[in-house]
Amino acid sequence: MGKPKAIVDKNICLACGGCISVCPQDALYMNGGRALVTEEKCISCAICIRICPIGAISGRNASNEI
Amino acid sequence: MKYDAVVVGAGPAGTVTARFAAESGAKVLVIERRQEIGSPVLCGEGVSRKIDEWGMLDGKRWIANKMEGARIYSPDGTMVKLSAEMAGNETGYVVYRDIFDQELARKASEAGAKILMNTNATELLTEKDKIIGVKAKRYDEDLEIEADIVVGCDGVESKIGQWAGIETRLDPKDLETCCQYTLTNIDCKDAFCDFYLGKKIAPGGYVWIFPKGKDIANVGIGVLGNLSESGMPKKLLDDFISNNPNLKNGNPIRFLAGAVPVANPVESVRDNLILVGDSARQVDPITGGGITHCLEAGKIAGETIGKAVEQQQFDKETLSVYETGWKEAFGKKLKRNYMLKEIFLDFEDKTLNMLADSIKDIKFDEISTFGLVKALVLKHPTLLMKLRPLMKISSEV
Repeated sequence: MGKPKAIVDKNICLACGGCISVCPQDALYMNGGRALVTEEKCISCAICIRICPIGAISGRNASNEI
Repeated sequence: MKYDAVVVGAGPAGTVTARFAAESGAKVLVIERRQEIGSPVLCGEGVSRKIDEWGMLDGKRWIANKMEGARIYSPDGTMVKLSAEMAGNETGYVVYRDIFDQELARKASEAGAKILMNTNATELLTEKDKIIGVKAKRYDEDLEIEADIVVGCDGVESKIGQWAGIETRLDPKDLETCCQYTLTNIDCKDAFCDFYLGKKIAPGGYVWIFPKGKDIANVGIGVLGNLSESGMPKKLLDDFISNNPNLKNGNPIRFLAGAVPVANPVESVRDNLILVGDSARQVDPITGGGITHCLEAGKIAGETIGKAVEQQQFDKETLSVYETGWKEAFGKKLKRNYMLKEIFLDFEDKTLNMLADSIKDIKFDEISTFGLVKALVLKHPTLLMKLRPLMKISSEV
């Protein structure tokens, strides 16, 4: 089991783009009015989690499906 | 589809660029991924009165309120007041940003620019490393839009710049992470924009109250990215509101998030490519204000595109007229205020209180961020050593 990958709660995200602009791996993108994570690119650095102003991003393990 | 210029993003930077490019004779397409221009609003909605000089907007529908001045509150509540004639560029209008953006888009359209909504740029279109347009997705349809110039007005998270090899990614210390309510049922009897500073209030940023009418205001917060934690801006803003006797009984009718680059500007020109607005980091690192820069830079970009089309030259050198132009207009101010930001971040709350107390009774002839700093340096010569390089840059402006 690897480190938790970032996941965006689509019910909370307000599409401000902050997470996308700080992601060092270009792992986030905007789609349909919310941010999404490309899991293969995510290196679990958690910068996006810290930057989200409304707490819409969290970490999850592959086995820990929401 | 072949255009002289394709503009990615229909915010103020994009539509103003499109308008002036079209007015200069260029064939322009603007693509916008969202389904409505100006919505959601990602902004505190305060705009300097400087925009009056340019006359880029018709009518008054975009104006919510005219500001008489600004008040800055230090952590212990000491107030520094800037009244209208003194407040210079730091105050002006509180706007309806959605109507504001739509009005600028209408002007672009009037000038002959075409706008395509629900169209998301997916990558640059290239031929032997030369940029020749963008690929985009419109619903399920894949588009290839050819253009001699691609204009990246795609905001804080700019992909266009990144795809062209410009480092547009932000260090968290160069990003304000924000959220804001539109609060009704509050008392805004005077038309002042209020700013609240303090490490406990908004680390590395501020809380703002911008009245949009007698009983309604845009109330928001910005926290510096490296000082923030997940959800911290919202929590601090909620705390601020519930502890404020005037705001605590307010009802929110809108809740939004935002991200503002407070960084040094990036390269804004490459062969066949221009960046305008937040994508080029054309934001005041102290106030977080960017609208006037978008308008000013957009006009220069549009006119540069017009000339490039006339000459059929789209190389970096030809387009550099734009970069030189915007740097002359406000580049030094951005550089100076970035240094100011770094200095102010080091100040403890008690230093901010002391500084505010020392200038609270001063009447300034002219107020800008720089005017405030000048007053502070006169009062506190020990600060001068740190601020000396800053004053040197400023004296050239």
